[in-house]
Amino acid sequence: MAQVKITPDMEFVRELQCAGGESLKKCFQCATCSVACPVAPANNPYPRKEMVWASWGLKEKLRTDIDLWLCHNCGNCADLCPRGARPADMMSAARNMVYKDLTQPSIIGKWMSSAKGLPILFAIPAILWMLVWWIRTGFNDGQWFPRAADGRIVFGQVFYGDYTIDPIFMITFFGACFILYRGVMRLFELFKPEGKLLIIGKTKPWFMHVYDVIVEEIITHKKFSDCGEDKENRKTAHMALFYSFVVLAFVTAVVAAGHWGGKVIPAIKLETPMPLIFPVKILANIGMLMLLFGLAALTLRRMKLNPKYQASSFYDWYLLGIIWAVAVTGMLSQCFRLMDAIKPAFVVYYFHLVFVWMLFAYLPWSKLGHFVYRTAALVYVRMYGRS
Amino acid sequence: MATRIGVYFDQQNIGGGLDVAAMAEQVRGKWGDLTPVVKVMPVLAAAVEEIQADVDAAKLDGVLVCGASPRRDWDQYRFSGVQVERVNLREQCVQACKTDGSASSATLLALMAQDYVNMGVVKLQKSEVPEPAAIAGVRRILVVGGGWTGLTAAAQASQTGYEVVLVEKSPALGGKAVNMPRTSPLKAPWTSIQDSGLEAKIAGIKNDGNITVHTKATVAKLEGQPGEFTATIMVDGAEQTIPVGAVVLATGWVPMQGSYLESMGLGKLPQVTHMAEFGVMLRDGNVKARRVAFVLDTTLAEEEAAAAYARAANDEQPEAPAAKAGEQAEEELEGPVFVKEDLESYKHLRYSNTVNSVAALRMANVFCDQNNDAVQAFIIYKDMMIPGILERFYKESQNRLGIMMTKADVTAIQDAGSHVSVSCENTLLGLDFDLDVDMVVLPTGLVPTTAKDAVMQFAYRQGPDFPDLELFDGFTDSNYICFPYETRRTGVYAAGCVRQPMTMDACEEDAYGAVLKAIQCVESADHGVAVHPRSGDTSYPVFNFVRCTQCKRCTEECPFGALDDDEKGTPKPNPARCRRCGTCFGACPERVISFANYNIDQIGSMIREVQVPKDFRKEGPRILILACENDAYPALDMAGMRNKPWSPYARIIPVRCLGSVNAIWVSDAMSKGFDGVMLLGCKYGDDYQCHFIKGSEICNRRKENIAETLNRLGVEPERVDQFEVAIDEYDKVPGIIDAFVARITALGPNPFKGM
Repeated sequence: MAQVKITPDMEFVRELQCAGGESLKKCFQCATCSVACPVAPANNPYPRKEMVWASWGLKEKLRTDIDLWLCHNCGNCADLCPRGARPADMMSAARNMVYKDLTQPSIIGKWMSSAKGLPILFAIPAILWMLVWWIRTGFNDGQWFPRAADGRIVFGQVFYGDYTIDPIFMITFFGACFILYRGVMRLFELFKPEGKLLIIGKTKPWFMHVYDVIVEEIITHKKFSDCGEDKENRKTAHMALFYSFVVLAFVTAVVAAGHWGGKVIPAIKLETPMPLIFPVKILANIGMLMLLFGLAALTLRRMKLNPKYQASSFYDWYLLGIIWAVAVTGMLSQCFRLMDAIKPAFVVYYFHLVFVWMLFAYLPWSKLGHFVYRTAALVYVRMYGRS
Repeated sequence: MATRIGVYFDQQNIGGGLDVAAMAEQVRGKWGDLTPVVKVMPVLAAAVEEIQADVDAAKLDGVLVCGASPRRDWDQYRFSGVQVERVNLREQCVQACKTDGSASSATLLALMAQDYVNMGVVKLQKSEVPEPAAIAGVRRILVVGGGWTGLTAAAQASQTGYEVVLVEKSPALGGKAVNMPRTSPLKAPWTSIQDSGLEAKIAGIKNDGNITVHTKATVAKLEGQPGEFTATIMVDGAEQTIPVGAVVLATGWVPMQGSYLESMGLGKLPQVTHMAEFGVMLRDGNVKARRVAFVLDTTLAEEEAAAAYARAANDEQPEAPAAKAGEQAEEELEGPVFVKEDLESYKHLRYSNTVNSVAALRMANVFCDQNNDAVQAFIIYKDMMIPGILERFYKESQNRLGIMMTKADVTAIQDAGSHVSVSCENTLLGLDFDLDVDMVVLPTGLVPTTAKDAVMQFAYRQGPDFPDLELFDGFTDSNYICFPYETRRTGVYAAGCVRQPMTMDACEEDAYGAVLKAIQCVESADHGVAVHPRSGDTSYPVFNFVRCTQCKRCTEECPFGALDDDEKGTPKPNPARCRRCGTCFGACPERVISFANYNIDQIGSMIREVQVPKDFRKEGPRILILACENDAYPALDMAGMRNKPWSPYARIIPVRCLGSVNAIWVSDAMSKGFDGVMLLGCKYGDDYQCHFIKGSEICNRRKENIAETLNRLGVEPERVDQFEVAIDEYDKVPGIIDAFVARITALGPNPFKGM
């Protein structure tokens, strides 16, 4: 009979261990985790099978496993694991491995996998924005910290939107989108079962499934509720963070529309900095407060994790750290601007740009990629089921 | 012979259901001068000093305590030079007597109690204080086998102050441990492989002035009895005789020879080997493979072997009688010639699974160590059996990157050119897969040396080998439920893999245990008491040779080979080999064997002491129960304690073992007018629970003869029956008794009643 030939890959196990799953070998296959998981389906549940694949170094099995993405990392399995094998961490480590390998160019994934790559990741935008600053200094009569004609601090004076921030971020954003698109396509390719896929019955177009996923799962954070009542704090914090992103994205869109659209229709023209009482600015600051709240709650939660059951990997801290950096520099640059402290204001704003760029440019390789890949997996499951 | 007996009633333990004062009066009236003191005590346990005072004042030589079961407070009533007997009026009388509260049932209870008290008096009257058969024990222990277990045993015995003679077959000490320089954990924290420390162990033995080492030596003969054995050792072709007190048998194991694993590639594919061989390769650094599969699941081979075994058994059947006849003829001509049967079988693979499981972990660790973890070791098991604290070793090994384990059914091991392919089904990975490896390591069957040779060469009447080894497929284990180190030959204690496949840490512990037993044995022989299971018993069988007809039944039936005989067949007792079960006197048709405190006449007199009413219909039947005191008697006690009463017509007499039941007792009971006799003993057969191994089995065989005799006399053989009762079956035993009483009631009265 034709049987699968398996080739255990020890290097993969080692990498998984480094990516947060260091206890994975402790698993002795009791399946408590699969029973404990509130969201795993009864048929072929997870994460027991993922644990044994991991300890046997079955890279392909894990890479093509859609269940990795159905896991919402509540940690119930880890709490109940009798051997302290920390299945939740292994699942998240496996996801980290997918971020790393799935997305091209994979060199960035490699830098992203440990603190060692951080200097390079930081240096790229730091140099980029320093270059912009330096060039703009030439336009500002050699002044590194110029004031606007009316004496205000206007960040656009240095980081002029039309020619610097907007094009750079648009390229970054659409570049990231493209990379993510390719990543999702590759992920779908991996999920596809071997042989021919035959779909019987009525089907919905993919965008309807995307709509369903967004409405039924993401907006409500339903899976977080499924993870158990004792995990409500996590749900609230994640939701705050999620909606803060939505709000800030909306604000950015409004500002961009106002700015660029204003060039065509003067009525909707919007210029920054906006006054503090302007509705869009109020919304932006509400978004910032939600961001800080969600971030603080999630960070506290991570700090309080009992390392016996669950620990935090570099991926976790990178994401929290980068969002913290964005939020803090964003808030501080506004504060310094209002305080009229020109030097700190520009320096902090410079860092703000660096961190925002890092957040978006590296998104496909970072843990933040889960918002695309997990959504994609949820859509795939709705379209074709689990394998 | 107790001639002045004090009878004491323990009111506290008897309770209010019996008219104790009337019973005391009955005793005084019946026994007169034999019982100069008869007292009713409110709390007997508080009156021990008063009993002692009575003993001194009235010169009592027997004390009869009527109250709780003899299994209770047995240590409270001890008076030097005075025999003490207990009458169980609580658990097996007041608590056990099924009554309905009527006047007649109160009478039945009183009759039962009276019978028991009278039997107690007679028992004391017919009993003597045994004179221990002490011998000057040789404080020297013979350790056979110089492997891990033997070395440990020798060192322990020497440290305890005993002289040791260590006999090793091969030229060097160390045995199989030589192949395991890195062993499974031997001490805390029990997590990783370690140096065995064998060299140090051997050096310690060689430098120990108390230990004499003989290499290239075997035991040629062991004769005598514990405390004064004479061992003949064949050292390099020359014989030496050495007096020894006891023996520790640690001859270990040999790898399975048979080709049971051929279907899994052993002996066919060059890349397939077994644990013991692989261990040697690892030790010598000869393993070039990068991927090794330890396949513990041998179902494939075992099923084939079992089928072949069944086929062979079928084929043999028709020829068997002819062969037997031939053998017999030969025997008659030359006398029995001992031929050792090879007891190796595929079953040894299964028995060795624990050791192989640990060995797989150990070798996987060594393999990873030798290659800086850049290799893959797979352990594919059906049952991963890791004993006790070695669970920690398992856990730690599991964490190792290169060690991968799964439960699986291995369906094929095939040559695939440069490597071997192992096909696995029903795995934990959730998929059936083929695994390519460079080498496959199969389990090694550990076959005890005793399955191959008669290693002790006993100069005993029952032959040079341990008896009934085929029950245990060659492992030298006798009474495994209660006494792990005992063999069926008193004074020889098995330890290590000759007894049961075990890991090296377990071998060490086993060696300690066996040495302690050996020491206990020498000391017991020195004091003239039994070692086990009746530890400290001073009685032993005494033979009245005048009436002996040299029928050899006792020498043949003794489960422990305690009796030798001369050319004529006169038995030659060896008290220190004896375990005091009484099987010999149960066997003796002439009743020439007795113990000072347990004999044919004594039990017979007790039977005759029971008041058997003449009117079966009005006063009911009488049933005699001879109950094994090791299992059935405690079960009866427990039934009483838990208010599970039985028929008031039963009368129970404890016996040392059903093997000690002599047919004459059944005749005594029948002629006395008992309507039925029940024999309550242990389970027997392969999974026996008998303290004395064969007792209930022998009794069952004798029962057939008794039934035949009864039949000839016109008594229904159903009146005598044997039942198996385990010690924990207290809930069943009253039902068994009542059903038997009902059977007898239906049969009607014993035809001999009143004659």
